[in-house]
Amino acid sequence: MSDGELAIPFRQRAGSAMKDAFLQEALTIATTKFIDLRREAFEDFPEGEALRDRARAIKEATLQRLDHYLETLIANIERLGGHVHYAKTSEEARAIIVDIARRTGARMAVKSKSMATEEIHLNEALEHAGITPVETDLGEYIIQLAHERPSHIIAPAIHKTKGQVADLFGREFKRRVEADPEVLTKIARDELREKFLQADLGITGANFAVADTGTVVLVTNEGNGRMVTSLPRVHVAVMGVEKVVPSLTDLMVFLAILAKSATGQKLSVYTTLVRGPRRAAELEGPDEFHLVLLDNGRIAQLGGPLREALSCLRCGACLNVCPVYRQIGGHAYGYTYPGPIGILLTAMLEGSRAVKDLAHASSLCGACADACPVRIDIPRMLIELRREVDEKKIAPWVERVAFTLLARLLTRPALYRLAASAGRVLQRPFAREGTISRLPFFLNDWTRTRDLPAVAARTFQERWAAEQGRTR
Amino acid sequence: MTTKGEFLASIRAQMRTARDLFPASAAKRPEHPAAEADTIRRELAERWPASLEKFRVEFERVGGVFYRVTSLDEVPAVVGRLAREREARGLVAWHAAALGADLAPALEAQGLDVHEMPAGETAAAAERERVRAIAAGADLGLTGVDLAVAETGTLILVSGAGRPRSTSLLPPCHIAVFDRTALVESLGQVGVFLEAWHRDGAPPTTGAVINFITGPSRTADIELTLTRGVHGPKEVHAIFVEQGIRD
Repeated sequence: MSDGELAIPFRQRAGSAMKDAFLQEALTIATTKFIDLRREAFEDFPEGEALRDRARAIKEATLQRLDHYLETLIANIERLGGHVHYAKTSEEARAIIVDIARRTGARMAVKSKSMATEEIHLNEALEHAGITPVETDLGEYIIQLAHERPSHIIAPAIHKTKGQVADLFGREFKRRVEADPEVLTKIARDELREKFLQADLGITGANFAVADTGTVVLVTNEGNGRMVTSLPRVHVAVMGVEKVVPSLTDLMVFLAILAKSATGQKLSVYTTLVRGPRRAAELEGPDEFHLVLLDNGRIAQLGGPLREALSCLRCGACLNVCPVYRQIGGHAYGYTYPGPIGILLTAMLEGSRAVKDLAHASSLCGACADACPVRIDIPRMLIELRREVDEKKIAPWVERVAFTLLARLLTRPALYRLAASAGRVLQRPFAREGTISRLPFFLNDWTRTRDLPAVAARTFQERWAAEQGRTR
Repeated sequence: MTTKGEFLASIRAQMRTARDLFPASAAKRPEHPAAEADTIRRELAERWPASLEKFRVEFERVGGVFYRVTSLDEVPAVVGRLAREREARGLVAWHAAALGADLAPALEAQGLDVHEMPAGETAAAAERERVRAIAAGADLGLTGVDLAVAETGTLILVSGAGRPRSTSLLPPCHIAVFDRTALVESLGQVGVFLEAWHRDGAPPTTGAVINFITGPSRTADIELTLTRGVHGPKEVHAIFVEQGIRD
């Protein structure tokens, strides 16, 4: 999302998304389908629940000794002839990759789907340096042609119709293109096959990295991850520090639940385990392998309130079940990572100021925590974020004053009784059948999407007191 | 730029501030993975038919096509028929040593242009270019299989000398030949084999990449319509050889 779009307030972005009839239909179809597929996959997999607990324990054990596992990973990758780089910020990560591209004389970079490179806005930096980035995941390719950002972690272009994709391809390749997914996929295959064979640089993210063996693991359905790590002469993988797992045995636990949570597949089509550059006896694979370890706000959360979010596998399950995501889609969130987990990750990467509105874009229903393969308690952290937004005085002053007054009121019985009597009088113009649906002035913002129960003709306290008097 | 020392120091500093940690441990690694892998194989020697049937069901569920033949001699005819049905001639194959048998003469007798991948002693740039061009131009890719996983219908292939990654990736049709020595039941068992390969550093781990292949390449990125063969093969065929490949 561009800064221009971020200048539009969240409520307005969400409002336009809710008026977009196609988006509404696409979101309902996609998220419902993903929910069904996920449920069926776990119904067929009785050991799934225990594996989710194990996966979470592995993540926690890894975070508790993160320095150790990263050191092991680094040593193993270097032993294999690979290079490891350290990026505290997005700027550093971009500079490192642009530098590798320049040094190796790369003109074109093929990319497999990676949220980490979206997060650091790598494509703009490559273009700026005269290197053409080509997204090769079909969904990412579509949104790259459309100059947009992904709207779902695993289905980046669900907001596009096949007609829109046909128009995009038609404009790009200057010919009439039939709006048929089969035809469109074939066109993308042919176009991108050329790019795979030409590109000098392959850029990927990493779903996992195995400390014990120095293995970077990529999970894809299309095979672009395999292309990108096999054909260009240089491979750069960009990975958040939290993606390391101790051993291959641990890796298998995650693989058993990742695809089931994301798409309902038992495994994605391709799981690719890459250990450094091409070996001497191999005819294929890159001559150079680089791993960029990314901090970008993650490390500060090792002891911070969002620590639990460091266990996220980026499966997208929490998006599909979220009543807010299902209404507004990914773009309205305004940042790289949408949905319930996206709010937490945005706070992690951009600071809590960035989520002053988003922290409230949740009904706290808990569906996300239930769907999460590693049982991240997302609602707990959203409440935590709301508190932080309040304490840092980032929330609008009206809201802060209102809640401060309310807190006083609720902790002082005499004041509360007084307010109840006053409210009973003041609400008369607004209360209809026990409900207040509209308040005047700035309070209108609050009641536009909420109903307030009217103060009862006799409050519970008054009735209680009366009852006590009668029985005595 | 941030150095390794600074980076790890910042991690250690933040780790010290973590509160309310609960005890957690990583998965228990097999102590003697090679021995455990042998045990798995021995046990499967008894009950492999059930695992093979499970593999077939799962492999077909993900869009693979399964064949069962008695001996290796029948494989070229299956491949030949596939080629004729697709009006295809160009076949790229793993080196005979990696495949476990020299099928080239019999495949050529089926009318195929067979390009056997070199054993891989020389990796000069020109040789690498040649190999890539062959794989990119072939209609069919013929490989062996290191593990076939019944739980998920997955074929696991390790890259290395004579077994390039592209054979199972660039041609639109991938044909894999395997026998019951490759068969395992579960992802958990795969973990044992991966640990054993790693610990021993023994073949088949001569290459840098291990690929899990679960059906043909697919995407659902346009209106969630399932489409096959976006980058990888549109078709994956697995031929099970009852008598064993290396017997």
